[in-house]
Amino acid sequence: MKQVSAFIKSIVNSYSVLFFSQNRVLGIILLLVSFFNPISGVAGLSCVILSLLVCHLLKFHGDNLQLGIYSFNSLLLGIAFGAFYHVNFLFVIWLITACVMVTFTSVIISNHLAKSKLPMLSLPFILLFWIVLSAANSIFNTGLQQKSSYLLEEIYTGTGNIAGIEASLALALPNLVGLFFRALSAVLFLHSVIAGILISIGMLIHSRIAFSLLIISFITACALNSVTHTYPEGISYYHLGANLMMAAVAIGSFFTIPSLRSYLLAVLSIPLGFITINGLTGFMSVHALPIFSLPFCIVNIGMLCLLLQRKWTGKLQLAHIQHYSPERNLYQYLNQEQRLNDLKYIRLNLPFMGYWTVSQGYDGNITHKGDWGQALDFVITDDEQNTYQYPGTLPEHFYCFNKPVLACADGIVEAVVSHVEDNAIGKQNLKENWGNTIVIKHLNGLYSKVSHLKKNSIKVKPGELVKQGDLLAQCGNSGRSPEPHLHFQLQVTPYIGSKTLRYPFAGYFNKINGKNLLESYAIPADGLLISNAEVNSPLKKAFDLQPGYTAKLVDSNSLGQYWEVFKDPLGQLYIYCKTTGAAAYFINNGSMFYFTSFYGDKQSLLYKFYLAAYKVIFNDAEDLVINDNLPLHLTHSKALLWLQDIIAPFYRFMDISYRGNVLTKKNGLSIISKQYTIIGKKQTQTTEASVYIDHGSLQSFNITINGEHTEATWSTEN
Amino acid sequence: MEKLPYEKPYIKKLHAGVMNKFGTRSGVQPVKSIDGVLVKTLIENYGSPVFVLSEKQIRKNYRSAYRAFSTRYPKVQFAWSYKTNYLNAVCQVFHQEGSWAEVVSGFEYEKAVGNGVPGNKIIFNGPGKSNDELKTAIKNDSLIHIDHFEELNQLLILSQELTGKPRVAIRVNMDTGVYPLWDRFGFNYENGEAWTALSKVIDSGKLHLAGLHCHIGTYMLTTDAYGIAANKLCDLAMNCQTQLNHKIEYIDMGGGFPSTNTLKGAYLPGQDTVPSVDDFAEVITSTLLNFGFANEDLPMLILESGRVLIDDAGYLLGTIIANKRLSTGKRALIVDFGVNVLFTSFWYDHQVSPAQDFMPHNENMVIYGPLCMNIDVIREGINLPLLNPGDQVVVHKVGAYNMTQWMQFITLRPAVVLIDEQQRPHLIRSNETLGYIEEPEFIPIHLKANK
Repeated sequence: MKQVSAFIKSIVNSYSVLFFSQNRVLGIILLLVSFFNPISGVAGLSCVILSLLVCHLLKFHGDNLQLGIYSFNSLLLGIAFGAFYHVNFLFVIWLITACVMVTFTSVIISNHLAKSKLPMLSLPFILLFWIVLSAANSIFNTGLQQKSSYLLEEIYTGTGNIAGIEASLALALPNLVGLFFRALSAVLFLHSVIAGILISIGMLIHSRIAFSLLIISFITACALNSVTHTYPEGISYYHLGANLMMAAVAIGSFFTIPSLRSYLLAVLSIPLGFITINGLTGFMSVHALPIFSLPFCIVNIGMLCLLLQRKWTGKLQLAHIQHYSPERNLYQYLNQEQRLNDLKYIRLNLPFMGYWTVSQGYDGNITHKGDWGQALDFVITDDEQNTYQYPGTLPEHFYCFNKPVLACADGIVEAVVSHVEDNAIGKQNLKENWGNTIVIKHLNGLYSKVSHLKKNSIKVKPGELVKQGDLLAQCGNSGRSPEPHLHFQLQVTPYIGSKTLRYPFAGYFNKINGKNLLESYAIPADGLLISNAEVNSPLKKAFDLQPGYTAKLVDSNSLGQYWEVFKDPLGQLYIYCKTTGAAAYFINNGSMFYFTSFYGDKQSLLYKFYLAAYKVIFNDAEDLVINDNLPLHLTHSKALLWLQDIIAPFYRFMDISYRGNVLTKKNGLSIISKQYTIIGKKQTQTTEASVYIDHGSLQSFNITINGEHTEATWSTEN
Repeated sequence: MEKLPYEKPYIKKLHAGVMNKFGTRSGVQPVKSIDGVLVKTLIENYGSPVFVLSEKQIRKNYRSAYRAFSTRYPKVQFAWSYKTNYLNAVCQVFHQEGSWAEVVSGFEYEKAVGNGVPGNKIIFNGPGKSNDELKTAIKNDSLIHIDHFEELNQLLILSQELTGKPRVAIRVNMDTGVYPLWDRFGFNYENGEAWTALSKVIDSGKLHLAGLHCHIGTYMLTTDAYGIAANKLCDLAMNCQTQLNHKIEYIDMGGGFPSTNTLKGAYLPGQDTVPSVDDFAEVITSTLLNFGFANEDLPMLILESGRVLIDDAGYLLGTIIANKRLSTGKRALIVDFGVNVLFTSFWYDHQVSPAQDFMPHNENMVIYGPLCMNIDVIREGINLPLLNPGDQVVVHKVGAYNMTQWMQFITLRPAVVLIDEQQRPHLIRSNETLGYIEEPEFIPIHLKANK
């Protein structure tokens, strides 16, 4: 049963993927529309089924099959066959042959191009259909009888005549609107305003961004033509649809993250398309072959090739993780840009224990200047902001003196100086100004340095491996240090005295008026009281979901759903729901647990849990509030979201914020989280959830989304 | 001109000694206010005697002690020793600062629960826990520190039907090189009893051994003993890890750090002789850090200090009742608080300061309480200026144990006032009344007084 539904899904996907979508509604509309030419419809559908079966037989499984990547070229082939040739016995034979060939070609080309991160688009279809056309026109008897229709005329020469019912509808609509719809239908080798209208509806449901790009590219193309008069009788609707508009949608919203820049790129693709169409038409007419959507392929692949050459991606980002929805690509990208610092930086901890005060921050006014500006000095202070106990005349009176200094991250000790005398209070050693120092290499080109350590307190040797949190030495008063303090900096070269590098700490508590604030990937400012994040071990244990963790969740109707944790080939962990097929990716970095993305059934308990425990800090201080944002496509106000979608690449007026805190119970503790939709200054609470933890394991959770309440309990079987 | 206070005429023996550089002053200064609140006002409003606690000082003590440990060790947790002072307001100050609760009886356990401490942050110590108390502690996932084999067996029986494992720790006693040897609580380290107990816990499969606990003494004047104790506990934890494949989550070093009170019979004042919390912290944490645990396996360090965190935040204010000259010619002062209220005067030579200006003449005297009992001596000898009946005095460093070990004997127990950080006094325990004392009493009908 599951296999049948998966098979039907791949069929529908083969249709929707023509428009870079996985939207079922769009897929079904396209499937219906393809039957406007019944022969094309039947031929297309049979080709899809055939190529899916062939792939199954040859065990080309995986995402590409499921997404319809291997089969959409067959679909195009079937439709084209139906549009070009009369049906007879040989039609069937050659259709099957060509279909199998195009499937193989798709598998080969897509996998080869994927290595260079490029898409194959409709190249297999174009190549194969050229072969079919050339074969049919050759001196040998292929038996294929070509139709003569306005469509073919249009495709071959770029000038066709309108006839039939379509003509009246086309005439009833303003010229350009009719052309727009006809252009859209051309992608399916149709010439029909009604088909175009249906496809437009499907596209609008699939993506507002893609739809707006269709319109923008259409207007641009028409405007460009009216200026240049490249096509005195108007642009061929086939090229307009299958080449220019599709190219703009692909480069502007699918392969790139939609933004002002991607839109500009889409506009730029129009003149490129013009010249490519003209050039290729001239070139291929020698062989009497139509160019089909080759200009679209060339323009898109060319632009992507160019973008991939960049060393710095800048503001025009490629969609590295494809969600087959420009909106989702955009919202997920924006959300992760903000949240996924764990994947950008190495996790740097503060090099000490307990709460210390930043006595001099970056670009401080004492010694952190110029090239040596990106450094931090730390001391320990008491409630009265004193750094020492009365009388403060000896280094020993200072709170930080003799306190442990730790390795901020794993690495190899690069250099050690440990012989410099500790100064008397008020004296400085300007000759050996760094004093006793340790440099640790964390990565090629990333070194950390701690200085002014106590004489002979260093416990590590050069070449030694240290782990994060290992004891390195004791804080001292050597070098340019009139009173005991710890100097910390990052640098790109291994030398003592190298210039400094700006680099954030992974997570630390910032204590303001007795209340802790968790700072993530930030650089502490002057005067702040900070410490490494304190971890509540039962909480940490509860969220320590290692690959192989299994759980059975029982909802209020006592129906069970089974979860298991897996690791994907990129090393990312995710919870997979065996019952519903949903997957939720998460990161557990030792001080917090957070979900990064969710795929699948939104009715599943996993989705509810994804919302309830979107971000959890392993600390049970009740006043510690966790703030975060969810990707916008998860909002419940769909009407507003459509409005937002249209302008999303330029401006976002909506936000979904997540706020969580821990509530200690008599037994165990609860994570209480709420979600708000924020529009301007107005915020509406949409969701309230709590996750209950006891004895160091997840016990139950409940969530109310817009009044709809769900409860689930971890079954005690495991 | 202000009217000078009246002073009784007296005759004093002339000491014709050499003048020293400190002159002839006793060093006693009047203490007219506590945290900005006048002693006079406090006594006027709350009666005499009255205990006064400084919230500011409590928090300061806590923070500096916590800082001493947490800047030396990555995982530190304090647990407030309820028996030291379990007035709810005091406990709440500590809980607000982040302390767990350390209780030694069902009564204290209930107090901790009543103070809103989550079950899993209550450490249940002590040799006397009833079946019902243990059941409650298990239900609340509290940390049960086992004192003897009877208790261990009792827990094993209780855990038979449970699905989850109760979290327990073994209390260990050992020779730390100090006298007297504290071996009455827990299982002995040297004779292998502690190892037997912890193997039994782990082998049972019914209890979860979360930690190891020791409490090597009270008012410890040497830091070395803590180093030895920490080393022995680490040794047990490490053996447990390597031989029984079980990681110990925490090591509870108990308390016993001295306050700066001067013990009776001590030659020098406590202020000058007792090690600071920093000294203890240095010894304990360096032992733990250098023992050889992997970073992520370092056990959490729990401390159950009581006295050192609160002693100097407590004051007892009282009033002079009378002056007397004893048969030996020694002067005696009778004050309105006795040993029933100031229990710690059995242990310490408490510092007593006058609460008003005085003339510079001192005399050695004995301070008696108001009880009609020979034992009621507050100080056997103290140099104080001459005080008149109605004058007020302040006794220092009385925050620990007095407000729990005091007893209703002959007189009623006084009120307790907490001065908050904004210098506002709050009554946190009112004066006892006759009704309160007689409330649980019953009189058989035949003994009722005829009216």
